[in-house]
Amino acid sequence: MKKLFTSAEFKKQNQRHARRSWLRNQRFNDYLTAKNKSLLGISEQGREYKRKFQDPYKDYKKVYAPEVLSFIENPEGVVEFISELKTLYDDKKKVFVVLKDVNIIAYDAIVVLLSIMVKFKANRIKFNGDFPTNESARDVLIESKFIKYLFQQFKKEERYYLGQKSSIHTHAWKDVDSELGYELIKNASKTVWGDERRCQGVQRTLIELMLNTNNHADDSKKGEKHWWLSVHHDKTNHKVSFAFIDFGVGVFSSLNNKRKGSKFFGALDKLKEKIQYGNNAELLQLIMDGTLHRTATGKPYHGKGLPGINKARERNQISNLNIITNNVHANLDSNEFRIIPNSFSGTFVYWELNQQNLNCHAEN
Amino acid sequence: MQKINIKISREFSPTPGPRYIHEGKFSGELFRQQVLFPKVSNALETETPFEVDLDGTAGYGTSFLEESFGGLIRIHKLSYDRIIELMTLKSDEEDYLIDDVNEYLKDAYEESKK
Repeated sequence: MKKLFTSAEFKKQNQRHARRSWLRNQRFNDYLTAKNKSLLGISEQGREYKRKFQDPYKDYKKVYAPEVLSFIENPEGVVEFISELKTLYDDKKKVFVVLKDVNIIAYDAIVVLLSIMVKFKANRIKFNGDFPTNESARDVLIESKFIKYLFQQFKKEERYYLGQKSSIHTHAWKDVDSELGYELIKNASKTVWGDERRCQGVQRTLIELMLNTNNHADDSKKGEKHWWLSVHHDKTNHKVSFAFIDFGVGVFSSLNNKRKGSKFFGALDKLKEKIQYGNNAELLQLIMDGTLHRTATGKPYHGKGLPGINKARERNQISNLNIITNNVHANLDSNEFRIIPNSFSGTFVYWELNQQNLNCHAEN
Repeated sequence: MQKINIKISREFSPTPGPRYIHEGKFSGELFRQQVLFPKVSNALETETPFEVDLDGTAGYGTSFLEESFGGLIRIHKLSYDRIIELMTLKSDEEDYLIDDVNEYLKDAYEESKK
């Protein structure tokens, strides 16, 4: 026998190898036993179905979408859903989104679903899902092209255009795109009034939001985060809805993290000295009516940023403005500002354009 | 004396954009550098009244207007008093923009005094 095989070092190594090999076999046997047990009592066709349609996603983490998939109607459920997906995204875990129990999918949720799906796919993290059994919910998904894109690969890109010829189309970029806004408004006005018009309030809203994402969504560097915008044309009711989202830090986190040199550095402390406010819901109210801006700068407010969007609503340039950021949901039309239990890391804004909103004819 | 006219939608873009050039196309910074400053400084030198027509665009972000007009004082150090004396603003479609632009100029002037 070779001297090598009798050495203590070899024996130790051989024993370790044998122990590991035995453990591996043991694990495989346990797996086989469990698998065989799970197939007991299932017909041959049933087994084939399971292999084809259930097993392909057995190592995916299942995430159940809320029954009412609407950021405005069910912010609690949607924020929880997003937060679960975000954790899995950060851990680079494969995800299977269970949509079969969803009864209602609002158009405002499309931007959430599409943006999350593209984020996973662009980062080469497996993402799949099933479809709602409810027909109208399924129709919304089909119209948004979500199902088509579910089977498509995405690359990391600066810009995305999804569902261009559909009544729900989605755009994403990092910069401010005023030309895109102009095009979207021209098309929206055809649905609302039947001809091309200019809607300066919608354009202002889009520019302020894109700029907010570009400047404030990431505390460390400007222009890092994507904004996502879905537009839905409701030709029956002559109404167009806009849903905008970014997965940045959100309004309150951004305010808290302002550095020296920013006009909003220490703004919250100044505000607290002057006005008693209890929570973030009340703070958002003070932001939207321009109080925070006035306190921070000591000057009259001239419609900048988020309050500028509210001004557009007050001038009847947009309708049904809703904002969800961190732990607050605000419905500006009904002046309701309320705390939601889970915090959403980002900013979601929804508004509509209808026949009553102010506009100008297209020719200059 | 012939008035100098500056119509933003025609001489710059019907789709004014963000504040800075690096934030996107048709920024206030670019408009100020390419159109507004050359025309306004010429108007101030020749003592010619000038009109800035804000109508006909898709709409403005507030930063575009602040950077364009406030920047004349902040960056180019033009005289606030001379601008106010010679400038007229036209904004029939969005009349509130006139007040906003005047305030941006005033704010920039007050900042420059500090």
